[in-house]
Amino acid sequence: MRLARYVVRRVLLLPVLLVGVSVLSFVLSHLVPADPATAFLGQRAAGDPVVVAAFKHRWGLDRPLPVQYWIYLEGLLHGDMGTSLSTRRPVTVDLRERFPATVELAIGAMVLSVVVGVPLGLFAGVRRRGIAADAARAVSLLGVSTPVFWLGLMAIILFYAELGWAPAPGPLGLEVTPPPTITGLLIPDAVLAGQFGVALDALKHLALPAAVLSTYSLGSLTRLMRSTMIETLTEDYVRTARAKGLPHWSVVVRHAARNAFIPVLTVMGLNFGNLLAGAVVTETVFSWPGLGQYAFEAASSLDFAAIMGVGMLIALTYLVMSLLVDVTYAFIDPRVRIG
Amino acid sequence: MPGAAGRTRTGRRRLAGYLVRALTASPLTAAAALMVAAWLLLAAGAPLVAPYAPLQQDIVHRLTPPSWTHWAGTDTVGRDVLSRVIYGARISIPVGVISVSLAVVLGTLVGGFAGFLGGPADEALMRATDIMLAFPTVIMAMVITAALGPGVRDAVIAIMIAWWPSYARLTRGTVLSVREREYIDAARSLGVSPARVLFRHVLPNAMSPTLVLGTLDVGQAILVFASLSFLGLGPPPELPEWGSMIATGRNYLHQWWLGTFPGLALLTLVVALNLVGDGIRDAVDPRLRDR
Repeated sequence: MRLARYVVRRVLLLPVLLVGVSVLSFVLSHLVPADPATAFLGQRAAGDPVVVAAFKHRWGLDRPLPVQYWIYLEGLLHGDMGTSLSTRRPVTVDLRERFPATVELAIGAMVLSVVVGVPLGLFAGVRRRGIAADAARAVSLLGVSTPVFWLGLMAIILFYAELGWAPAPGPLGLEVTPPPTITGLLIPDAVLAGQFGVALDALKHLALPAAVLSTYSLGSLTRLMRSTMIETLTEDYVRTARAKGLPHWSVVVRHAARNAFIPVLTVMGLNFGNLLAGAVVTETVFSWPGLGQYAFEAASSLDFAAIMGVGMLIALTYLVMSLLVDVTYAFIDPRVRIG
Repeated sequence: MPGAAGRTRTGRRRLAGYLVRALTASPLTAAAALMVAAWLLLAAGAPLVAPYAPLQQDIVHRLTPPSWTHWAGTDTVGRDVLSRVIYGARISIPVGVISVSLAVVLGTLVGGFAGFLGGPADEALMRATDIMLAFPTVIMAMVITAALGPGVRDAVIAIMIAWWPSYARLTRGTVLSVREREYIDAARSLGVSPARVLFRHVLPNAMSPTLVLGTLDVGQAILVFASLSFLGLGPPPELPEWGSMIATGRNYLHQWWLGTFPGLALLTLVVALNLVGDGIRDAVDPRLRDR
């Protein structure tokens, strides 16, 4: 009952937060001393007041700010995020096109960080001193300290330009025809269409940017897994399992690791939201046609509708993931009733 | 008064003790502190240490690889890369420190008010904080910088606006605990005004975790600033900023030195700052130590 009340309270809070995010997006986009007319019309045309007035009227920028926001909010409730000044298309269409590429990149990064980080953290938690512990510490420190854009550039220079092991930046080779769109994700779509060669090409193109994007998440997951393993191994039930004569690795894997993994699982949910937001720089380095690159182009050209659309979408994803994480944690651990 | 610990001689000695304990706790932390000190000295002494001026061009010798005359090579207009890397510390380090300091001050004030006042004010401020935290930080910083115009000052403002919410959250949590202490009740019963209680007794005793987090975040702030510069949203490209130098390397993949040396500078500084920050955190609260 308490859990149900907690879940309902969090779900009811979600639209309130989303409205707040929309206000924040609007404020960020509009209440700054910059004029999109200058950005779009160019210096010469922007000097002509008639042209500027027509531009502003066309895009509703001559109306009072509260009216602009209300129009935006009404549209939002109908799934309309306005029209992008640069692409001239509905923002929802642009986002629908771009979002899957970022999701695919984030999933690839998450998979890599879990596959490498969790075993490394587990091993380092069991053997608290020695090479594994040192490696875990080095991985977590370097993961949070390495500039992702620099790492991406170094990876391109080494693996693409010098060694020729990696393909050119981008989601697919230039000579490869994209698969028919089913999910929007290249690799699953190619597999579902039976185009395994395309799927492999997409996987090869995904490997390097996903590895680069995974560094921060890898560092934090390794550290957390090691920390929770150390704590879990001191629990009474682990001592009991050992006293019963169970083999060491049976105690570690079947008893300790499963419980140690629970907080890691919840953090993974939050990390996914962070990966979506953090993909901006990685996508720019690797010419990845996702949300991050779209956000950067929108910010550079003061495309208000696009900026707000990206902000809303990533915030929505983050809030939903955060809600799922908190509810899962409250369900698993009854001592926790946060909020 | 026992509550004003941060402001008494005992309190100052305690803080100094934390710092000494942090720096001597392990050889690694001490080495990291030396690295940070080295970067600070390089930044301060750049005009004496750098072999060339950061803007000095030599078109004839543009894009030359590392050599005895140019240890880190030259860039697209023949400027010495090593000199520009050294001068780059004079931009990155102050930006990291100032932007985090401003965010800590703003976050502490907001979180302090929220935790101290409680009730509707607390709810409103914390919901505002939640909204700011939900909005992607990098995108927020990008938008603010793009709108205000590229430049060091505007990047600092952007980072401050994007980061104060986490400090507000943390400060509010500790203020909620500190405000229930006996010495706070004593101050109130003596007739001390609420503002004075907040600023002279509550906040000085609630700020430790926020300051520790701030110390840990200086490295991250430097990374965010470099990211903004990499995206073209930082200072003008002629200035020796590490992020924009790395961005130049993107268009010259075979001139590996253009991006490598600024990146190594960034990496060594941020690793050292993170290690020092870890040491300070462990000294302040051993329970937080990564065992």
